[in-house]
Amino acid sequence: MSATTAVPAPALSLRPWLTAAIVWGLLLTVPFWLPLVGGYTALAARVLVMGLAAMSFNLLLGFTGQMSFGHAAYFGLGAYGAGLSLKYLAASTPLAMLMGVLLGGLAGTLFGLLIVRRRGVYFAMVTVAFGQIAFYIAYSWNSLTGGYDGLRGFVRAPINLGFTTVDIANNDIAFYYFLLVVFGIAVGLLGLLLASPFGRTLLAIRENERRARFLGIPIERHIWLSFSISCAFTALAGSLYALLNNFADPMGLHYSLSGEIVIMAVMGGMRAFWGPLVGAALFVVVQDYISSMTVNWMSFVGLIFVLVVLFFPRGLLGMLQGRGSQ
Amino acid sequence: MTMLDVRGVTKQFGSLVAVSEVSMLVAPGELRAIIGPNGAGKTTFFNMISGFFPPTRGEIVFDGTTITRMPVAARVAMGMARTFQITEIFPELTVGQNVRIGVESALGLRQRVWLGGRDAAAVRQGIEEALVMTGLASKAGRLVGELSHGDQRAAEIATALTLKPRLLLLDEPTAGMGEHETYAVANLIRRLHRNSSYTIVLIEHDMRVVFNLADKITVLTEGKLLAEGTPAEIADNPAVQEAYLGKAE
Amino acid sequence: MLQLVLFNVTNGLIIGAFYVLMALGLSLILNLSNVINFAHGNFLALGGYIAFVLTPYIGFWGALLVAPILTAVLGFVVERLMIRRVYSRDPVYSLLLTFGLAFIIQDVCRYIWGPNGLPMTVPDVLAQPLSQNLFFITGYRVFMVAVVIIAVAGLFAFLRFTRVGIRIRAGTLDLDTVAALGVNVGLLRSLNFAVGCLLAGLAGVLAAGQIGLNPNMGDDVLMPSFIAIIVGGVGSLTGTLLGGLLIGVAGALTTIVWPAASEAVIYVIMLVVLVVRPRGLMGEEGMLT
Repeated sequence: MSATTAVPAPALSLRPWLTAAIVWGLLLTVPFWLPLVGGYTALAARVLVMGLAAMSFNLLLGFTGQMSFGHAAYFGLGAYGAGLSLKYLAASTPLAMLMGVLLGGLAGTLFGLLIVRRRGVYFAMVTVAFGQIAFYIAYSWNSLTGGYDGLRGFVRAPINLGFTTVDIANNDIAFYYFLLVVFGIAVGLLGLLLASPFGRTLLAIRENERRARFLGIPIERHIWLSFSISCAFTALAGSLYALLNNFADPMGLHYSLSGEIVIMAVMGGMRAFWGPLVGAALFVVVQDYISSMTVNWMSFVGLIFVLVVLFFPRGLLGMLQGRGSQ
Repeated sequence: MTMLDVRGVTKQFGSLVAVSEVSMLVAPGELRAIIGPNGAGKTTFFNMISGFFPPTRGEIVFDGTTITRMPVAARVAMGMARTFQITEIFPELTVGQNVRIGVESALGLRQRVWLGGRDAAAVRQGIEEALVMTGLASKAGRLVGELSHGDQRAAEIATALTLKPRLLLLDEPTAGMGEHETYAVANLIRRLHRNSSYTIVLIEHDMRVVFNLADKITVLTEGKLLAEGTPAEIADNPAVQEAYLGKAE
Repeated sequence: MLQLVLFNVTNGLIIGAFYVLMALGLSLILNLSNVINFAHGNFLALGGYIAFVLTPYIGFWGALLVAPILTAVLGFVVERLMIRRVYSRDPVYSLLLTFGLAFIIQDVCRYIWGPNGLPMTVPDVLAQPLSQNLFFITGYRVFMVAVVIIAVAGLFAFLRFTRVGIRIRAGTLDLDTVAALGVNVGLLRSLNFAVGCLLAGLAGVLAAGQIGLNPNMGDDVLMPSFIAIIVGGVGSLTGTLLGGLLIGVAGALTTIVWPAASEAVIYVIMLVVLVVRPRGLMGEEGMLT
């Protein structure tokens, strides 16, 4: 935990600001280049949503050093919160997002109280079990959630900006840019948080909990805060997922999705800010391709997990950027 | 005037009595060394003072306040800082970031998500002071995990100093170090003591360091207090010579 | 009414027995190697399918004996080839690895044996009800419980009286010291993993005789097994045993009064335990983190 051996400097070094420039350049121009390489805008939208989920999750894994294996629960609660709001409360997209964030964020805040004293695999185990509670409620509360078939019967509503209305309901490209704006704000907030004194206490906890404690940092409270914030942002991603599909699915709460969120963060590089987004892009695109090619896609997804763990544990950006890349 | 008053503390782990009825008075500005053979209970004694675990019996008073069962964070807030036998740092962060985390925590900014200009300036100044005092200013941008053993230790001390502690606890600061590094760390401790009048309690194996630096020495054997006194008194103490120094290499 | 209660208590004990077999294996691996084996339910399925394949040749009794052993051998190989490579790394990697293995094993089962359920026949002796009044207690159910009791007693005896077992227990408490005494810790962990898979394989054979086979037959038992460990207290095998039985019986008894809540009650028990007694029923204070 303390003194570590030096790792050889990477052959190819990618500076963080350069990574950010490349990422934003690509994201802003998606509708122009994606069709040229055979993609479609809805796929890019999924990358954004899953990328936001993985980046939010990574606040906990990559930057606080705590391993949640139940983040699908907060993603799914965000999706149900948004869906239920659109279906039963009002045809308002911002309200739907707010309700999603509240539902997932509050659930995370409450559960977080019960797990902050656990560490490592035990933290993971309790978060998995908590995640399954949400899954269980969603598929057994038939009358409200549609049970196993999922929640249908709602559509995202156009955004009224006062001077004009953005038709995200029917225009895919408008919806993509809407997602990009929300993604940008959320990711910007995450970035500010990580660069703040509070964010540094999280890094301190990740690096060395004992040292952090003896510097007067209240470890449990900060892990709890990190967990709650991470859940709220993951729930935001979930609410966007409901808007994207006009559908909320109990499998969106299942622990297998939690595992996928973790692998996205790891395969992109959990120590790099943009790593989880890169991982989400790789995972979503590969999964989309494989599942169109073979019914045995699960084996290939499983193989991705195994190969990443055994051969690329630092993830793509981790390998490109080298150490100390926050 | 007493900075630290340890009154007859005992620590039992099951049937094992690691520390038995040890008392110690440390005056402000004093540098106290705790010595004793391996297994004498030095680190256990230290852990009770720093709040790692509470004593089974006995009392600890720090600067007039009873802290026997106080949690770590509260002791830190009262002005206590410590280092560990095995260096505890943030290895994948730079020296500057290591120190910055300490400074921000000490200034009560640890839950801030935004720093105003005045706070930012105070933080910069705190970092600067700690780095200069420990001679690490030129290495601020290096990752701590990649530094030499001695510099890692200095970084740990620098981080502890950011708390502006009224009591600094150092657990074997020169453990595992070569001649040169030991000299550098001993010098650092001397500066902290002489120039900045820190109150320091340290556990140390290197007798040259102990007898050169300490104002007073506490000797533990088998969990009990064997002797206490100035370096000269301890050197002349026959019980110490027999139990400890006589067997030393 | 009495019959209904008896019926559900029996059911609960049987379900609980499955949880116990699974959770004990998971616990063993967790305690010694600090790995949550997400593929444990898939080793259960493998045990069932292996028995299914073997039964025509060596009969049910032979399969009951051989299938768990073959599952253990598979577990041993998987541990040697893959899992042991990540022990020295951040625990997130071992979780992801077993997670991926779970996907792969499940899909391979589906590929080989098809996505639909397969029946497994048990010997006629076991298929008969015990009596007219207790029609719900077939011989097979009694038999399952008996096998689980023997297996659990065998496991505890193994850990208490054999050299490997004693080393596993010692390694759970302090692996560094065990290694310093010259014990081959790598091999110990492999054997321990194999023992865990043996229990899962046995559960698989028993489950196959009761509910038949399908590729995700282990999934439903995995989460309750986690909860059994959490409720029983991490680090304590006795706790895991109690936890498994407790949630099994509680779930079944809830079925009497409110069938829809039979699964919910498991989660409620977990939450109550986490709030009231965070270290679990038998967990030690220090094992919380």
